Amino acid sequence: MILFFMAAPVFRTLVVFIALLFSIVIFPVHSYAAASSTVQNIKERGVLLWGSDSEGGAPYVFPDPKDPSRLIGFELEIAEAVAARLGVKARLVQTAWDSLIPALERGDYDMAMNGLEIIAEREKRVLFSRPYYVYTLQLMVRKDETRIAGIRDLTGKTVGTLAGAVAHDLLAGIGNVDIRSYSAAWPYEDLALGRLDAVFLDTPITVYYGRPDRRLKYAGPPVGEGFYGIALRKSDGDLKKVIDSVIGDLLDSGELKRRYEKWGLWDESQAKLFTHGTRSDAGQQFRTESSDAPLYSFLPLLFRGAGITIFLSVASMAVAIALGIALAIARLYGPPAARFASTAYIEVYRGTPLLIQLFILYYGLPNVGITLSPLAAAIIGLGMNYAAYEAEVYRGGIEAVPRGQMEAALSLGMARMVALRRVVFPQAFRISLPAVTNDFIALFKDSSIVSVIAMVELTKIYGILAATTLRYFELGLVVALLYFGMSYPLSVLARRLERKLKGVK
Amino acid sequence: MIKIKNLHKSFGDHRLFNGIGLDVARGEVVVLIGPSGSGKSTFLRCINGLETFEQGEIDVDDIALHSIDRARPSREGIEAIRQVRLRAGMVFQQFNLFPHMTVLENIIEAPVQVLGKEQGQAEQEALAFLRRINLEKKAHSRPGTLSGGEQQRAAIARALAMKPRAMLFDEPTASLDPETVGEVLSVIRDLVREEGMTTLISTHEMGFAREVADRVVVFDNGDIIEMGPPENIFTAPENERTRTFLGRILKRT
Repeated sequence: MILFFMAAPVFRTLVVFIALLFSIVIFPVHSYAAASSTVQNIKERGVLLWGSDSEGGAPYVFPDPKDPSRLIGFELEIAEAVAARLGVKARLVQTAWDSLIPALERGDYDMAMNGLEIIAEREKRVLFSRPYYVYTLQLMVRKDETRIAGIRDLTGKTVGTLAGAVAHDLLAGIGNVDIRSYSAAWPYEDLALGRLDAVFLDTPITVYYGRPDRRLKYAGPPVGEGFYGIALRKSDGDLKKVIDSVIGDLLDSGELKRRYEKWGLWDESQAKLFTHGTRSDAGQQFRTESSDAPLYSFLPLLFRGAGITIFLSVASMAVAIALGIALAIARLYGPPAARFASTAYIEVYRGTPLLIQLFILYYGLPNVGITLSPLAAAIIGLGMNYAAYEAEVYRGGIEAVPRGQMEAALSLGMARMVALRRVVFPQAFRISLPAVTNDFIALFKDSSIVSVIAMVELTKIYGILAATTLRYFELGLVVALLYFGMSYPLSVLARRLERKLKGVK
Repeated sequence: MIKIKNLHKSFGDHRLFNGIGLDVARGEVVVLIGPSGSGKSTFLRCINGLETFEQGEIDVDDIALHSIDRARPSREGIEAIRQVRLRAGMVFQQFNLFPHMTVLENIIEAPVQVLGKEQGQAEQEALAFLRRINLEKKAHSRPGTLSGGEQQRAAIARALAMKPRAMLFDEPTASLDPETVGEVLSVIRDLVREEGMTTLISTHEMGFAREVADRVVVFDNGDIIEMGPPENIFTAPENERTRTFLGRILKRT
């Protein structure tokens, strides 16, 4: 304790921060520990809660194109069958794909089903039902692609896949592949637009999102083979019995085959479902290595991510500051048209979510012929958004400079622009500095949003690693520390700069 | 040298000046006195274009200022005002020194930026002047570290560095403690006597006014109610309102 107070302020802040983090995480862990049988809970509740991702979820579970308020999908049908067996209704708990297992562990629902491959990694954490589908992986490329005939040709190419999926591991195993991880069905769109060379995903996804696209074609035969299973908490053996029984009945009666044929998913491999095989070889090697690896082995990858985050934040802030200054000047000193345009820009960019602005920039602009790379879209998106906030900060700073300063400058015969540049702006700068540093630090954290437009930075790398190794907590702490390590020096630097400039007043 | 004719100015609905005028000869020292709100400051600020006016004409040296449209001044109008400011420097009640520059930098800023003077040259001249007003030691200090009196003296030096032909002082000592008032007044006094500078000063320092003024102009409620040599105004004011005002002021001293 005494040592704590003797230590330098930086160290103390760090320790308090980590302690807080621990306490926040420890508490929820206890919530689901002692429960009575899950099957009983479900029956009492009258509802079977199942976790899945309906965003880009065809044909697993997705909104019916004919009636988007209704969900359909082959997994939804299986969930409903299980619910019916228990005498209850099934309700979907929408969850992002890479959060399915942690959310299951937290107790958000009773079972997770969304094309979760049965692999050793996951079997350490959850209980799997008997398999309900045999999947393969399919590579897709653009119609006019000639260089890629199969996955062996992917070295040095840019390939889209799902973070945490077995497909991802296979690609990593090839070596020297630039892997872009997505969380929805967007990879096929980006493939068609030319941002990717290929997409490598499970066959059901390929069948529904890739094959219908006339601009794309298959490259090579299906690769690898594995099983989908329904994930349950380790303690829910009784629920597993029920589910296995339901799946067994669906198989034996031919009902499952009929349904899969309806969805276009049935093939000869499905025969393996009858023999209960549960292990997938694809990507196994890579997965085992990475999940048992000591924490520090992830550092190089994480540091790379941190580097990208730093570059992204600095570049975006530079754009934001330059544009912000222009907007502030236009708003304060420009002709009426400029003043109106500037105010409109500020209100629109502040009043709409950054996420949506990024989506429009990345996925919307190609419709009018402008296809930006993820990096360009990220920097422009972040920069333009933050410019709106910067403009107001600068306007406030400028208006806070006493009028007498401008009057004195003008009285000395300075032209307005000279007076602004030499007298008002330097003072406005000092006044604005705390707010600007604040925004900069916020930008560092906001940069993680760009992961939705397939931009790989620190948070995205965390997501991929965590989804792959399931070590959410430890990796999460490390990443949080990294972010802190990037923002804190900024604070210190800024405070030092403020103090130095204080010599002014 | 400075001629104001038929000046009309309103602040919104409130009419302040209703056609007032004044002629200031070259080398003349004119002191403006009157109650607060009577328009002394506004009058001075109209001369150097910090305030606009609706009607009338202001001539400074060879430049004529007509009423300037507030919303969209013409380019010629803006340039005319700038030319007036080069000829008539102003010293403010709040000093308005630039806090992010040293005293020396404050003084050379305009000569270098506006007149294109060479930096070394400007510094030499500035230091020479600082020596004259006993402020040389503070040349490299920031205004924040100076006393009020020192700041105002620096401000005067800054205005003079532009070599104006006239100087406008807007209540130069009103923000100073009584002890420092003296040092600033003595700088102004020397300026007026040695340089023979055309000067307009608005002030509440009656003793000083009496001492340096060639002419005293009395303001009240936007009107010029009386003007004349200091002896006349202070010993035998003609106007009733002048008498009231002086009565109130002088009773306190």
